[in-house]
Amino acid sequence: MIRISVTALLIFGCLNLAHADEPLHARIDQLITQQANDVALAGRSNDAEFHRRIWLDLAGRIPTAAETRAFLSDASTGKRQRLIDERLESPEYARRMGELFHAVLMERRNVNEEWTRFLRTAFERNLPWDQMAQALIRADAEDADLRGAAFFLTARLVSEGAMAPVDIPGLTRDVGRLLAGVDLQCAQCHNHLTISDYEQQHFQGLHMIFENMQTRRDVKFPALSEKLMTQKKEYLSVFDQIPMQTALTIPGGSEVEIAVFEKGEEFARPPDTKTRTPGIPKFSPLGELASGLATADNELFCRNIANRLWFVMMGRGLVEPLDLQHSANPPTHPKLLDLLAHEFAAHDFNIRWFLRELALTETYQRTSHVKPDQTAPQVESYAVGLEKRLNAEQLFWSMLVATDELAYQASKPAEPPAPATTEETEAKAEEPEEPPREPLKLTDIEQVQAGSQELTELRELFLAAYANAAKEPEIEFNPSVKAALFLMHEEKVLTLLQRRSGNLVDRLSGIDDPSAIADELFTAILGRTPSDEDRKTVIDFLQMRTDQRTDAISQLAWAMLASTEFCVNH
Amino acid sequence: MMHPFPCQPADHLISRRRILGTMAGSAAGMGLGALGGIVQPAIGEELKKNDRQVLLVWLDGGMSQLESWDPKPNTQFGGPYRSIPTAIPGVHVSELFPRIAQQMDKLALVRSMKTEDANHSSGVPKIMRGHPKNRGVAYPFWGSAVSKLMGSTDSGMPPYVWVKPGDGGFISKYAGFLGAKYGALALGDGKPPTNLERPTTLSLEDDLARQELRELFNRRYAAQHRKASNEANSSVYDVARILMNHVDLFDESNLPVKDKERYGDHDLGRHTLLARRLIEAGVRFVQVSSIGWDTHGDNFNAHASRVPKVDQAVSALLEDMSDRGLTDNVLVVVMAEFGRTPRINGSVGRDHWPNAWSVAMSGAGIKEGVVVGETLADGTDVKTEPYDIGHMFHTWYHALGIDSKHAEFMNGTQPLPIAHDDFAPVKELLS
Repeated sequence: MIRISVTALLIFGCLNLAHADEPLHARIDQLITQQANDVALAGRSNDAEFHRRIWLDLAGRIPTAAETRAFLSDASTGKRQRLIDERLESPEYARRMGELFHAVLMERRNVNEEWTRFLRTAFERNLPWDQMAQALIRADAEDADLRGAAFFLTARLVSEGAMAPVDIPGLTRDVGRLLAGVDLQCAQCHNHLTISDYEQQHFQGLHMIFENMQTRRDVKFPALSEKLMTQKKEYLSVFDQIPMQTALTIPGGSEVEIAVFEKGEEFARPPDTKTRTPGIPKFSPLGELASGLATADNELFCRNIANRLWFVMMGRGLVEPLDLQHSANPPTHPKLLDLLAHEFAAHDFNIRWFLRELALTETYQRTSHVKPDQTAPQVESYAVGLEKRLNAEQLFWSMLVATDELAYQASKPAEPPAPATTEETEAKAEEPEEPPREPLKLTDIEQVQAGSQELTELRELFLAAYANAAKEPEIEFNPSVKAALFLMHEEKVLTLLQRRSGNLVDRLSGIDDPSAIADELFTAILGRTPSDEDRKTVIDFLQMRTDQRTDAISQLAWAMLASTEFCVNH
Repeated sequence: MMHPFPCQPADHLISRRRILGTMAGSAAGMGLGALGGIVQPAIGEELKKNDRQVLLVWLDGGMSQLESWDPKPNTQFGGPYRSIPTAIPGVHVSELFPRIAQQMDKLALVRSMKTEDANHSSGVPKIMRGHPKNRGVAYPFWGSAVSKLMGSTDSGMPPYVWVKPGDGGFISKYAGFLGAKYGALALGDGKPPTNLERPTTLSLEDDLARQELRELFNRRYAAQHRKASNEANSSVYDVARILMNHVDLFDESNLPVKDKERYGDHDLGRHTLLARRLIEAGVRFVQVSSIGWDTHGDNFNAHASRVPKVDQAVSALLEDMSDRGLTDNVLVVVMAEFGRTPRINGSVGRDHWPNAWSVAMSGAGIKEGVVVGETLADGTDVKTEPYDIGHMFHTWYHALGIDSKHAEFMNGTQPLPIAHDDFAPVKELLS
């Protein structure tokens, strides 16, 4: 693909297909329908199904009972489109996308305040993806809001103990995987044995860029400096041992000639030994990578992000695995991926616009219901909506929303802030003066969580129970015994279902009519009204336990929170 | 020390998992209903009477046969280690295997393994699936296959438990067309799952009540959706509840110090000891994984530190199998995805070598004290009839009381042989 795409670029580029009269969402549906042939496409999701799906995808949480009721009772036309637009404009969108991209790009490595600020700011401002990606590769240390992007690389430049020194080949691999959709790992020591598109030169030419950089020690925030690069990289294949050379190589692009400057002329800003500030070379390999990779001219780059965002919304990649784009692994819908990549680039990599178009498709809005007597169609037909995994953050916020924990926390007296320890105070005093920054704008639910020690701890527990191990991409729905036991037995989870002033169990304990309780439970937790048999289940269960009604409500709520319906996005 | 080669077993494990995950996903998407992948009923009945179990020791990345089962001292590629006599007269193993040498009369050893794939990412699934003929479906790994064919024992313990380094969880990706519920319960680093015990604030009665409700809601959801997600989600709760009854398994404080010493104070030792206890608790198929065998560099030092751990853990296991009367019922297999090259590379390493390698086994009617097959004097190829992993699967199924020439999985309406059609059990291995 790398070599092929270079040729392909000369002919097509990413931009050439980018005009047609119809909106993108309509063209997507046409292509999906065309390829489905005689597979029957399922109908539209019902309003409750769609409503919950949009909230989870664009706000990262389930809707509250009030939000669900308002949507279901809204009889006006165009309410689906309005909901999509409202969610995309809400501050919660930036929170959700920050959480999502943190999981995708860091793969559960570390958290860093500057990094979080970068993601949040980028999505608040709807920073185009090419600019985000350029920042990931070469962050501007002068931009206090976006400089944290450097953490994408610096977090991968740390040793994890004596047994696991800094893994620059792993970093090279991740940049290829996450930004270009190519996993070059097995082309480090030889051309890839089974994927002919992946050559050792591609790996080595990318790797040399990262061998040439280091984490800056003169500043506290994540930042990188580069050494002078003057020579090509020499390498051998372990098979034939013939010496080879390469200049730096952009995935999906070409080799870049190394510009060498006269001695004394190498730096745009020379190093300052007094302040220990590293110099900025005139020839910046990271700069070359940023401009050569994160651009509409780079087909791999365009296709990678289009495929990944499609995966987020539709539950399946057009190319799978997401990081194995190559000519022998074509997309399930080749024309569609071309279209998506080109249109996204043509719209200046506007993520909000792109997600909106995806959400407006019939493909996205299709029901996930399969009739009991029906055989489910192939997943790659998109004939029936696909269930999607909820990540740890989505589950955490949804659990708080469902149990009305936020109402309880808001009603109780605020916890006094923990006094700063002496150490912290001293550390603060040593730090060089920084211009003050606006604090991060937290969404309402984040503010409640941040103000509660209890919820802050609970969030960590959710991450431990539901997130994949570090460095393992979160792709499929992968329930675990660990998470089941967590939900069954963890005291801090069960506390959410104890009666506490203003929370769900408290509110429902005050209702006499069991049918009304059923309505409340299903609307609050599952975002829909109960079916007749659901209602009967609730009424019968409460009937059997009239003496322990609060416990019974809590058990009903637990069973719904632990149900498959709650823990996937369907 | 980090491995100089990038294709590390741990990484391969990840990509392997992801590739398999995709395949499992699409298999599940092909419309297998709740009854998909069911074994023919007659066979299921027959097997119910059977209490045989499997303990697989998996050496991920590929242990060198030359530094273990099939030494070639003083030859071009022999490496620095000597060979030592064993309990079978005339049979020698590497000097790195002193304890196993003493136990060789309990083992059957195949030295003429010749398989097809020299890549970790595709070789592991081939070996783990017994490399059946390609029928366009993702076959289950062996543990999932045995779970399906034989089910849980009367203990009700999960049928497939995998003791592995790193994280645990319920790993359903290797179950192929059988579906998520035949996945493995993975005990990361041998530790019990956290939150295993029910808090005192929750009564047993209340717990049962809420679990029944959960199952009811799940049935309603599953009736209207694809089955795979709910199957996977429901099965982790089932497993969790059974495991709660076996908290004692994870309490090492009651274990005799002598046992801990015999198995060895290292991951493989601890994990193999836990595996024995899981077998005793009634788990049908226990897999122990040891990682880091991909010694493309510094092969000999690596094997000098690693092989003795296998020696210690496996010899202690064989002793216990025999002392505790488990030999007749429990099939023990020690293998990897391939062996390592006779040729020693420029980094004093050995590379991947499926052309001539060894597999060891014991118990459940496997003949004791036999060595089957032979390699050339320099170890570069097999000298006698080559055996594929398909031969081994037939042999092992036979030992487990399953007629592998006739038993079939049912994938929807598609019958699928449980082992490669062209092969049969190796008679010399069966008593």
